[in-house]
Amino acid sequence: MKKIIYILALTTLFSCSDFLDVAPKGVLSEAQVSDASVVDNTVNAAYASLGNDHYDTPFSLWPYGDVRSGDAYKGGRDEGDIQDFYFLETFKNVRTDMGELDGLWFKLYVGISRANSSLRVLNSLNEADFPLKKVRQAEVRFLRAHFYFQLKILFKYIPFIDENVAIADYATVSNRALTNNELWEKIAEDFKFGVDNLPEIQSEIGRANKAAATAYLAKTKLYQAYEQDEMNNVTSVNTNKLQQVIDLINTIPATYGLQSDFADIFTPGASENGKESLFAVQFSDKGDGTMFGRLNFGDVLATPMGIGCCDFHKPSKNLANAFKTDANGLPLFDTYDATPINPAADKVDPRLNHTIAIPGHPWKYDPTTIYQESWNRTPDVYGVYASLKENVCKTCYTQVGPFYGNTKNRIILRYADVLLWKAEALIEIGGAANLESARQIINSIRTRAKNSTARLKMSDGSYESNFNIGTYDDPAIWNQNFARKALRWERRLELAMEGTRFFDLVRWGIADTYMNAYFASEKSKIAYLKNGLFTKNRDEYCPIPDNQIRFSKGVYIQNAGY
Amino acid sequence: MNEKNKFKGNVLSKLKLLVLFSSISLTLFAQNRTVTGTVISAEDNEKLLGVTVVVKGGTTGTVTNLDGKYSITIPNNDAVLVFSMVGMTNQEIKPGNSSVLNVTLTSKFQTINEVVVTGYSTQKKADLTGAVTVVDINDMKNVNNSNAMQSLQGKVAGMIVTGDGSPSGAGTTVRLRGIGTFNNNDPLYIVDGVPTKEGINLLNPNDIESIQVLKDASSATIYGSRAANGVIIITTKKAKDGALQITANARNTYSFYSSKLSVLDTQGYGRAFWQAKVNDGLDPNQNSIKYQFDWSKDTNGNAVLNKIILPDYLDAAQTLKTANTDWFDAVSQVGASQNYNITLANGSEKGHSLVSVDYIKNDGIIKTTNFERFTTRVNNDYKLINNKLFIGENLSLSRSSQIDNNVLDPALQALPIIPIHTVDGIGWGGPVGGMNDRQNPVRLLEDNKQNNTINMRVFGNIFADLEIIKNLHLKTNFGLDYISTNSRNMQLTYQSGYLSNTTNSVTNYQGSSSNWVWSNTLSYQINKNKHAFDALIGTEMVYHGDESFYATRQNFELQDPNYMYLSAGTGAAGNGGLASENTLLSNFGKVNYVYDEKYLASATVRYDGCSRFGKNNQFATFPAFSVGWRMNQESFIKDNVSTISDLKLRLGWGQTGNQEISNNGIYTLYSTNYTGGDPTWRSLDGTAYSLSGAKSGTLPSGYQKTQSGNPDLKWETTTQTNVGLDFGFFDQSLYGSVDYFIKDTKDILVLPPYIAVVGEGGSQWVNGASMKNTGVEMMLGYRGKIGNDLKFDVTGNVATYRNKVTSVPASVINNYGGDGNKDNILGHSITERYGYVADGLFTTQDQVDNSAVQNGKGLGRIRYKDLNGDGTIDTKDQTWIMNQVPDFTYGLNINLKYKGFDLTVFFQGVSNVDVENVVKYSTDFWSVRENNSNKGTRLLNAWSPSNPTSTIPALTSSDANAEGRFSTYYVENGAYCKLRNLQLGYTIPKSITKKFYVSNLHLYVSGQNLLTIKSKSFSGIDPESPSYGYPIPTMLTAGLNVSF
Repeated sequence: MKKIIYILALTTLFSCSDFLDVAPKGVLSEAQVSDASVVDNTVNAAYASLGNDHYDTPFSLWPYGDVRSGDAYKGGRDEGDIQDFYFLETFKNVRTDMGELDGLWFKLYVGISRANSSLRVLNSLNEADFPLKKVRQAEVRFLRAHFYFQLKILFKYIPFIDENVAIADYATVSNRALTNNELWEKIAEDFKFGVDNLPEIQSEIGRANKAAATAYLAKTKLYQAYEQDEMNNVTSVNTNKLQQVIDLINTIPATYGLQSDFADIFTPGASENGKESLFAVQFSDKGDGTMFGRLNFGDVLATPMGIGCCDFHKPSKNLANAFKTDANGLPLFDTYDATPINPAADKVDPRLNHTIAIPGHPWKYDPTTIYQESWNRTPDVYGVYASLKENVCKTCYTQVGPFYGNTKNRIILRYADVLLWKAEALIEIGGAANLESARQIINSIRTRAKNSTARLKMSDGSYESNFNIGTYDDPAIWNQNFARKALRWERRLELAMEGTRFFDLVRWGIADTYMNAYFASEKSKIAYLKNGLFTKNRDEYCPIPDNQIRFSKGVYIQNAGY
Repeated sequence: MNEKNKFKGNVLSKLKLLVLFSSISLTLFAQNRTVTGTVISAEDNEKLLGVTVVVKGGTTGTVTNLDGKYSITIPNNDAVLVFSMVGMTNQEIKPGNSSVLNVTLTSKFQTINEVVVTGYSTQKKADLTGAVTVVDINDMKNVNNSNAMQSLQGKVAGMIVTGDGSPSGAGTTVRLRGIGTFNNNDPLYIVDGVPTKEGINLLNPNDIESIQVLKDASSATIYGSRAANGVIIITTKKAKDGALQITANARNTYSFYSSKLSVLDTQGYGRAFWQAKVNDGLDPNQNSIKYQFDWSKDTNGNAVLNKIILPDYLDAAQTLKTANTDWFDAVSQVGASQNYNITLANGSEKGHSLVSVDYIKNDGIIKTTNFERFTTRVNNDYKLINNKLFIGENLSLSRSSQIDNNVLDPALQALPIIPIHTVDGIGWGGPVGGMNDRQNPVRLLEDNKQNNTINMRVFGNIFADLEIIKNLHLKTNFGLDYISTNSRNMQLTYQSGYLSNTTNSVTNYQGSSSNWVWSNTLSYQINKNKHAFDALIGTEMVYHGDESFYATRQNFELQDPNYMYLSAGTGAAGNGGLASENTLLSNFGKVNYVYDEKYLASATVRYDGCSRFGKNNQFATFPAFSVGWRMNQESFIKDNVSTISDLKLRLGWGQTGNQEISNNGIYTLYSTNYTGGDPTWRSLDGTAYSLSGAKSGTLPSGYQKTQSGNPDLKWETTTQTNVGLDFGFFDQSLYGSVDYFIKDTKDILVLPPYIAVVGEGGSQWVNGASMKNTGVEMMLGYRGKIGNDLKFDVTGNVATYRNKVTSVPASVINNYGGDGNKDNILGHSITERYGYVADGLFTTQDQVDNSAVQNGKGLGRIRYKDLNGDGTIDTKDQTWIMNQVPDFTYGLNINLKYKGFDLTVFFQGVSNVDVENVVKYSTDFWSVRENNSNKGTRLLNAWSPSNPTSTIPALTSSDANAEGRFSTYYVENGAYCKLRNLQLGYTIPKSITKKFYVSNLHLYVSGQNLLTIKSKSFSGIDPESPSYGYPIPTMLTAGLNVSF
């Protein structure tokens, strides 16, 4: 009997507590990822966030920058296909609980959290052990500021959290802890750190360098210069900030400039990462060791039906009309939208054919592939145009499920854009010299466009359209008002469908009048736009997602008007 | 007689019997003379196998054989023979000087002497102090269910079984006594002493000998940290002593739709589309769905649709002919199922052997879906060393193959205008132009018909029981449960309208789940005078490990299943794999004490350690105490109220735990995520990036945080108090039980969603919430005879419970609905949902103008109640609108026997429960869910000025009124009562079957789900399955049971 109890006791002892020590499998601990030897991997992960968007949370911001600006229609099957984007398009029924907004907010903060994780490790190292410490810190802060910048232009008031805040305290940081202006300052600080610490040249093209940080800092200053009140009214324009924009851009080295052919900027291959690209998201294909390739899935829905799916992000009729030019090759500022464009007869800016696919014209510089009306999914609702810039040649896609992705880089900082910020600052500061400099910048961009027709040809060698683009050569009319008008027009044509237009309108303080005028005219062409109505002092920004307000237990304050 | 008792048996009772035999051998020499005879049942004159015959006061005994015959030696003519059998009234007869004594035993409906497996040990049912339900296995044996648990639906008070109609029955869930936790609510299954939480559908229902459901803590605590959701103990069949017995069962079942969703046809779809556009003031002819409308306005300004004009072909190439496809018909079939089973059993006093084979093939009512299972079982046991050592094993091997495609939702959404095939009859029909991008459901089925999942399972145990000294047993039991899952998924190329896939691929998956358990127990039993005492102590180690990997490859030249193996592919390849483990280490003990068969007491304690919890909280103690009072044994009842045959009051208290969370909750984890996943339908979260811009080659990669650790994690603890009363009258012909319980769960493990600024890996398990379940369960049975030949047995059960969340951590209090302030889940059932109150439709412009501000309001639109009265409909106008706890659940089983005929009628139901009629999002709205997808015919009756009494909102092409928001519009009464089973059988008389060496031949026909009664307010198809689950079919079965 005693023996038995002894055996029983023994089995208990034998099965002592190390039986319960079970290590997790295939994962890493906090200590393992905090080692100096792997710190670069944490930086890689922060960069990887740039490409971790999705079609309903696109970091290209096409639903927010283009569809809300009158440059593009949502597209797709009908209004109900990603219906929340339709509500954003018309500014009707924009609800605080829209899943797309919550998702985008979260995805952008994931990017920020990866940056903060990396910074916590980087900060703990000393330079002797890790000579690249400052450079990597600057890169990661650049990425963090980029994600904050996107949040800022979408939501205006956002919680700003850096690597020094304990994770336990994250939920206590209010989106109103900093003022509008202070938020811009915080973003600027990160970019400034980049300007001070990044090398002019990085061995890897995908990394941020000094020019990228400089340009982004200039962009931040430009947005900051248009000071807003609580109700999103632009109350004043800060010329000191504008001067900083100019000064910063002037330090960007001459290795950057406009690529000679506009087509090269939007064609995958050798011309990618050219001198016009200061910073771009680097996508990769199946050969990268992943199953599907790290494709641009944020813009994947823009593929027309003649190639794949799903025909979203459709250029508006209004946008196409804006490319019409007069006898001098200058925009028809006041009459452009009076009659629909006739691509066969009207004089047009060549950027029309770089930007908008028009039935009967070659698809993406390939005269043997003609874009057809039948490539459209719902022409009766969304017209017959397709967006070209984020698309690629018909055989250049990779199919994933029903979707067709491509690996063409998404340029975040384009030199033409940078030049136009400088021109904008010059014009807003004013003065003859400044206005003249701005005129030259705008003309340089128009000249490049004029010289970018070599690939806009039909198979018989004739030009696709009747190209006629000129420069602003009459100094007599080049006053501040006209220059401003020309600059804003130029931004629209040059950067059309690149996801920036709406944010320009809000920056300038003209979103309400512009959009309501657009709805008034466009609704006669596109039936569902009769529901469009921009409500001033609300629709300049998206609502703070309901979920986040609840998670913050009311620490977050909803934006004006919602 | 009661079938259950005939087959009832378990290790311990057999043990006792064998102990008895061993003593016989010692006394055989003291012989005098022999008495022989046959024992038969009074009920049906069947010969009784296994009746114990002993000489009263002596040590001599025997049991009857297969023919009911016995032979026993008696010392003298004064000897009295005692004939006894479980479930039968004992008979004591003095043979006198006769040498042949034939005996008839009558059933005493006496289930209270049954022996019940209660975890590591057995106990007489009469001595139980906990809430234990013994399931009548006989009721479930002829029912066409792949999963044994499906057959228990409605059979056990307080046990809610839900499932769908899928051929495999894999989606069956079991809930005991409500919802105890926010996490895994599945009970723990113990099959022949081996614990498992999964794959009960891989167990052959024909192999099950008994099922016992341990509902309260005092009975379940012996299983400690895994017992909070209740324990279901399953014992598999063992051979009986006696000659070789062969039984065989066969059945064939056909299944049909109970009712189908009525969806729009080509014309109806056009009408609905037109109406939606016209209502919105849009031109319906501006469309790209190939419809044109001839319409006009009548004198009142109302739009009138004159004619729908359809093209002959949908595409310019004229391959897609305009159709009127009923996609539900196209994907449906009459389901057919077959089940065959043979069991061979042989036993003697030295050992038992049972071998069974079972095959089931179940073709579902959705084409290409099926389940096929082959199981074999070998159960053996032997007595050694003078019967001091009892060893044995139970082993089951099974292989199943299943295809569980559910295309109900695609079949609803597919447009009727699209043909199934192109005109050549080979290509696939599909959407064109602006039609929705939903897949052809017939193609989905066809292209996946070879993509089955194969499960192989080895499940069994080996045990040894040594009687060291009399009544002191040392038992060791080692159990193994290994499941291997593999699949080869072929993705074929297709062209289906504008939808296409040009790259074929194959993905192989292999996963395994290995579990072993080793338990050692020491038990002792003493019966002295009026005291009966037994005690048990034990230790147990449990290991659970999962491992899996997959490999995938693209581009195969042939799309032949014989060709499409990974090595034959020429395109991109990928792979991945995972593993996880957890362990448990426990000590436990149990003491039962009975005084004078009147006063019962029991105490249990288990000390459990689990690898899932941090060092500070790795171990926990789970105690339980219970007492019982068998009042019918008191002389004041026994002597005065003879009608009372059983009356027992039970009171129990105890604690159980729950540890069902991820294995690594205590750790903060990072992982590499090189590929970032499949981007098709979900957002990427990869860690690799092409920094060089090269677009290919190995990318630099990093880590993502996947979880925040909580080193202080501990168990959930459920404290349960149970009061029960068992009763029986008129010699147990009227019997039943009532139980009341209070179940408090604290430290519930929650994985709260977290604020977005935390970024990745913010999820962290915490012990936080508490909830309370209270409930009452009742069971009542009545059996007897009318005349000589009509026997009846009616049992019913009813149960109800209420659930209330009593505390929630501040960090997550707003995650379960509520206004984000004072109004939260506290005090509500965890099943309650928060939403808007739909207050009918706006039917006049006056109503529209004079109502609260509501974005998108208008004529024919849903009016929401301004609950806070602030004049604006917003998120603050929500309240608790749905409680998914039913008023009560019930089951009623009626068995009738008349001569050779038997009839079973079984009803099961749920009373007053809120369900979300998910289908309504598609039957009542054009634009709430997937605009332009096909919809239900209810839409044709939508509100319009000319149809002003309709309660279905007006059609609209965009959901500006946000009617997709969760509101009372979707909440309906899901009460139902179903005729689950109606079976008529006939047993061919022995006199005929004997000629064919058949001892029993039973033929039957049955129908399942023949009738459903549902609430008038329920507008969907099946309140039991209000979503797009696999439809629960009506089934017709014919079968036979034969034994030799």
